[in-house]
Amino acid sequence: MENLIEELKKEIIEVLNLEGMTPADIDENAPLFGEGLGLDSIDALELIVLMEKNYGIKLQNANEGKEIFKSVKVMAEYINAHRTK
Amino acid sequence: MSRIVVTGLGIISALGMGADDTYARLLEGRSGIGKMKYLKSKHTDLPVGEVPFSDEELREILFIKEDASITRTSLLGAAALREALASASLLPRDRSWKMAFISGTTVGGMEKSEQYYYDFLHTRDRDEYIALHDCGACTDMIGQANPYGFEMMTTISTACSSAANAIILGANMLKLNRTDIVVVGGTECLSKFHLDGFNSLMILDHEPCRPFDKNRNGLNLGEGAAYLVMEREETARQRGVNLLCQLSGYGNRCDAFHQTASSPEGEGAYQSMMEALAMAGLQPSDIDYVNAHGTGTPNNDESEGHAMMRVFGDHMPPVSSTKSYTGHTTSASGGVEAAISILALIRSFIPANLNFSEKIDSLNFTPVTEVKQEVELQHVLTNSFGFGGNDSSCIFSKIS
Amino acid sequence: MSIYIQSASHISIQKPLSEEWMEMPIIPDSFFMKSEEPDYKPFISPMEARRMGTLVKRALVTSADALRKGDCEMPDAIISGTGLGCVEHTEKFLNAVIDNDEECLPPTSFMQSTHNTISSQIALRLKCHGYNSTYSHRGTSFDSALFDAFMQLSLGKIGTALVGAHDEMTPDYFLMLSKLGYWKTNFYTLEQLRKGEEGGAISGSCSLSMLLSMQKKDTTLCELKDMEMFYRPGILQSRHAINDILLRNKLPLSEIDAVVMGLSGDQDNDDVYHELRKHVFQNTPMLWYKQIFGESFSASSFGVYVGAVCLHEGRIPYHLFFNPDEADNFQKEPKNILVYNHFHDRDHSIVLLTK
Repeated sequence: MENLIEELKKEIIEVLNLEGMTPADIDENAPLFGEGLGLDSIDALELIVLMEKNYGIKLQNANEGKEIFKSVKVMAEYINAHRTK
Repeated sequence: MSRIVVTGLGIISALGMGADDTYARLLEGRSGIGKMKYLKSKHTDLPVGEVPFSDEELREILFIKEDASITRTSLLGAAALREALASASLLPRDRSWKMAFISGTTVGGMEKSEQYYYDFLHTRDRDEYIALHDCGACTDMIGQANPYGFEMMTTISTACSSAANAIILGANMLKLNRTDIVVVGGTECLSKFHLDGFNSLMILDHEPCRPFDKNRNGLNLGEGAAYLVMEREETARQRGVNLLCQLSGYGNRCDAFHQTASSPEGEGAYQSMMEALAMAGLQPSDIDYVNAHGTGTPNNDESEGHAMMRVFGDHMPPVSSTKSYTGHTTSASGGVEAAISILALIRSFIPANLNFSEKIDSLNFTPVTEVKQEVELQHVLTNSFGFGGNDSSCIFSKIS
Repeated sequence: MSIYIQSASHISIQKPLSEEWMEMPIIPDSFFMKSEEPDYKPFISPMEARRMGTLVKRALVTSADALRKGDCEMPDAIISGTGLGCVEHTEKFLNAVIDNDEECLPPTSFMQSTHNTISSQIALRLKCHGYNSTYSHRGTSFDSALFDAFMQLSLGKIGTALVGAHDEMTPDYFLMLSKLGYWKTNFYTLEQLRKGEEGGAISGSCSLSMLLSMQKKDTTLCELKDMEMFYRPGILQSRHAINDILLRNKLPLSEIDAVVMGLSGDQDNDDVYHELRKHVFQNTPMLWYKQIFGESFSASSFGVYVGAVCLHEGRIPYHLFFNPDEADNFQKEPKNILVYNHFHDRDHSIVLLTK
């Protein structure tokens, strides 16, 4: 699980082009959207692509992301439970 | 200042070619949205509003040689332009009038570029299509396919409000006597690039779209083209042609909220409708029908609905989104829907908003669900909104 | 009622956000010239910049700079011209469509690929709800945007307009256009460019923003007196159009101090200008600008920019004269400058600038 969280942080930084950030800067329990990392709806779409591409998880509806992207930790737990690759 | 009148129109969409076919289908209540036939995308489960003619058929209809290189966006545009000019009684090679051609498009020649991209970079087999890729090239091709001496051309690319902004630029040119006649509108064909793009934003419905319905789930991508012929009233009277209606007001405002989403209160949309009303010297209560942008995405319909509530209050005129017939024809939609609004105005009917069943909670109105005939319309308003908050509205009125 | 170009700012082959090209132009040393990039950090935070392509960043910076110089916080209209839009993102998305077989595509690239993303991101930054539009008509995209602004200012619909021209060139698009003969395939000296005996031009990229308004100030660059656009005119009609615009503005040709032309060293392109010289501008000093700014779909904007700066400074630097002997004989302070551009002898434009 720890490895997955670390891996995920790196992927998020890369795919969202969060220049100058390191995995250590991301609190795995902090919200990704709004207050925490300050991501928005377009970032959510990019994260949906990330999940499909890297973990074989396909979401049908952008709204499903809301629960899953609460924090890096929640996201990692979801991936752990649903990944197909 | 003299009035700007519409003297001709041409339209091609999933409902077929020409004003008469379009009108017939709208009366029948039969949508053009269905399974893709010509577009070669792997996402065959996505319904589209495809024009029911192949490139070859369009070439034949337009007398364009088999070996001439031309993009589908230009073919659609050429078909609509031909009808528009003929309906305005403009004869080929008549140089008595100064004419300008203003066309809107966004993905231009992409449908060919995405097929030939490998060749563009690695062979010499498809070089002729490189030059046809950009937006301006499409306008140029369409202009060339018709032997009219346009003295000026340009291309507008404000995504889904492109054609509406072409109408606005053309009207300003006429007001300043910069030309005698303008042909304005837009064209866009289906492409994988565009379909996949909207799909990546997760705003495509896998069912036929349901504008203004509580359970709406996205738009269906469409294709098409439409152009209006507009001129100053005195030019039209001098030419002795039939006046279809007048363009009495228009507005262009920016939502400045988000790159792809509309603001919850629909600020840009509200302002563009208000600007159009002010120019026309009309009260909201004067509007007899609104052809809404109504894409069927959760975000647009709610935002536009709120903007309309701000404009019309408790006296909402009949509203429908004809995207439930044509799909979202993107850059062409401002032209396609202006043409449909004008048909409604002059043939006294209100097209229905298909696939509606349940009201959106936060809105105070429901769209028209059955076509209404023999209704006297004086003023119709049509909205066209694009990504980036490019919001435009036009009002067409009967000639008093 | 007069319309003025208040200020202008550019990012191009020349030193960015600067008029240093008047004194010390950078002479292209390749046929594919890259832009000189400014430091974007003071203008755009990394969090904002992360989704932006180069072109949008450039447009935001030149817009902010033009507004600052023109002392305007909120323009009434934002109008851009871009022949190709954000090519970088378009290619990224197109390649993904092809390579990933229409799956797992980057939404940001699609969103950034539409041409109007430039005008709309400027509006988004300024929270500007005013008129907003984008023209994409090859080499006269900027001219169309300027024409739109000019007409709306004339009609009194707006009081200020931020008008821009923004185009970038990627290696792949450069290669594609090379196949159509757009670019030189060798390095050429200025002398060789002047002769224009072969096809192709020097590729540049361009972002230029200017502010138009109705008030004359000390810092005002020049008056935008009039303009016209026309399609496939032929020399006779071009001559008519030039006469018309001069007549309308009660200016004899003899009072035009210089004509700025889009000469680029490309034979087919330049022939049109040489014909005009022969038939219309026999005695009018001829200026060029693409030898230092390069060719692009937005290049014509630099013709207007160069004319405006010369009028403001009251002088024309030696290096802008196409014929060196005309430079030697040119003594006066320019008052009226005509800018003539065309794209592939299809779309033509004339812009009349006065002091």
